[in-house]
Amino acid sequence: MTAVWEYLPYITWGVAWTFGLVGGGLAIGFMIGLPIAIGQIHGSEEIKALLEAYVWFFRSLPLLVLLFLFYWGVFPATGFKLDPLACSIVVLGLRSSAYQSQIFRGAIISLGEAQLLAARALGMTRLRAVFHIVLPQALRISLPGWSNEYAIMTKDSAITFALGVLEILTRTRYVVMATHEPLLPYFFAGGLFIVVTYGGTKIVNVVYERTRIPGLVGRM
Amino acid sequence: MPLGIFLAIVLAVARVYGNRPVSLLATGIVGLFRGFPAIVTLLIIFFALPDLGIFFSPYWSAVIGFILVTGTYQSEYVRGAIQSIDVGQSLAAQALGMRKLEEVVHIILPQAIRGALPGISNEIIYLVLYSSLASYIGVEEIFAVARHFNSLQFRPIEIFLTAGLIYASMATACLAGFRMLERKLRIPGLEVAR
Amino acid sequence: MTDGDIVLKAEDLHKSYADNKVLNGVSFEIGRGEIKVICGPSGSGKSTLLRCLNLLTYPDKGCVWLEGEEITEQTRDVNKVRQKIGFVFQEFNLFNHLSAWRNVSIALEIVKKMSKDEARKLAMEELRRVNLEEDAHKYPAELSGGQKQRVAIARGLAMNPVIMFYDEPTSALDPHLIGEVLDVMKKLAQEKLTSLVVTHEIGFARSVADEMMFMGDGTILERGPPDELISNPKHEIVKQFFKRINELYRREGR
Repeated sequence: MTAVWEYLPYITWGVAWTFGLVGGGLAIGFMIGLPIAIGQIHGSEEIKALLEAYVWFFRSLPLLVLLFLFYWGVFPATGFKLDPLACSIVVLGLRSSAYQSQIFRGAIISLGEAQLLAARALGMTRLRAVFHIVLPQALRISLPGWSNEYAIMTKDSAITFALGVLEILTRTRYVVMATHEPLLPYFFAGGLFIVVTYGGTKIVNVVYERTRIPGLVGRM
Repeated sequence: MPLGIFLAIVLAVARVYGNRPVSLLATGIVGLFRGFPAIVTLLIIFFALPDLGIFFSPYWSAVIGFILVTGTYQSEYVRGAIQSIDVGQSLAAQALGMRKLEEVVHIILPQAIRGALPGISNEIIYLVLYSSLASYIGVEEIFAVARHFNSLQFRPIEIFLTAGLIYASMATACLAGFRMLERKLRIPGLEVAR
Repeated sequence: MTDGDIVLKAEDLHKSYADNKVLNGVSFEIGRGEIKVICGPSGSGKSTLLRCLNLLTYPDKGCVWLEGEEITEQTRDVNKVRQKIGFVFQEFNLFNHLSAWRNVSIALEIVKKMSKDEARKLAMEELRRVNLEEDAHKYPAELSGGQKQRVAIARGLAMNPVIMFYDEPTSALDPHLIGEVLDVMKKLAQEKLTSLVVTHEIGFARSVADEMMFMGDGTILERGPPDELISNPKHEIVKQFFKRINELYRREGR
């Protein structure tokens, strides 16, 4: 039994990789997702159709399938040689961009047209209006949905074990294979995930509260 | 899948209406299975439980695992829907002499389930996609078959794209099914808030 | 008025919410066939009183008797008691997912264990009584406020209660819809259905009530036949209240 205990730190180090996956994925998701959201609201019909197809694709295929598709198929085909970690981050990012775009889109829509109209009446170009007036408010409205996305991303990061990324679950599996004691490692891993998930959502909640616009009813 | 919905309802009702110990237990269960990644839950059931003497076949491990995962996620939607129901409905039921159980079953739940449907249908979609994880506990499902083909004939793009699209069409079919269900259950005059 | 047939008796009811003393010693009786009206400014505890009487809320102190049996005793089956009291809410509270006739019949099936057919027949009868037979298949969201409230009354009547409670039944209605509900209530009053009504509709009280009770600050400040109370109030607060009402009526030429 002592042998198993000693492996726990090894598993815990996986958290660093998990953060890498989550952080990278969310960042890519944000950088691509936000433009997508804006495109879906203000874009031409062709752009909207294209974006809708993109969103549909990355939301309708299982993460596992996407990982394999890109790692074994797409990247080699295009000549990029990516290691499992980088590939995972990219795939998680693309997938997240699809989900995040919907969150932002919903937030922008729920903000309503009024804000945009007022800004344009002052003479701002569409771009400036969106950037300076609509986005700051919409981003804040998005926070609850975004914290949900964080939670989902954290748990999805575990699926990258299929590519061998050295995050929590991969390490856990190695430990289980080595010690033949599945109970403790798996529950420990689960516990780690819970801590990371709830810790993160707590932080997002704090940000949400801190950035509360005085007078406006919160959107939780 | 239907069992998952049933579990969701039980958990949600327990959390809202149960006395403290029951409510806490339900909250704990929900927290646990929403916190664990689905894959971890599956692995625990199939690999770890045997250590405690509980054996399940790959298929049943997957079924139980998914029921736990989807049931707990859905209970959040059901709980939200229950809490959004106007308290007046409850008062009217009580004023007529209904017992708590009768009130919940006949008055609250029919309305709550309609409200929770959009969220539940979302969850079912996830379920369809995450079923791919079951391949790692030995279930011979789509992804497992795909990997098998890939090892025989290395054509990853075609194979995985096809597999992915199969999942996608199943998900889309489910979505259509739920849209129909929502339409059938619609209360005339009352639009389900999206 | 036979002294022996008191349907409802309340004695020294007290109720507080947090630091707020809402009911401060309320006592009264209602005999069979009597119509009593409670009026008074908002916040005087009128709604709370009704809810204490059918035990939707429990009074902190005091007792209530229904047909001679004390219902505030903790061992009583609350649900059986509530079956004997019909309750009409200000916000209607119709079951949104059920059609009008289903709203009326559901409690009959579940609580009174009637068969589906019996319940349906009785429901339609009650809806006829409130002039809503034609709209029986409509859902609450498709009905006007006045129609909804009449369904609510039918729902309460169907249980064959010994007394009807009305909690500001017309306060949530558009003015042109108030009439249809008051007409139904008047009709029922003429049939001598024992009723306790909380309302602002002084005209209604004048025409059908046997006694009017004015509530303020959690107690009954004054009580008596409606005409007397309205034209000749003794308590200062009551005087002020009716003075303003009379001014309002005079100014609008009602």
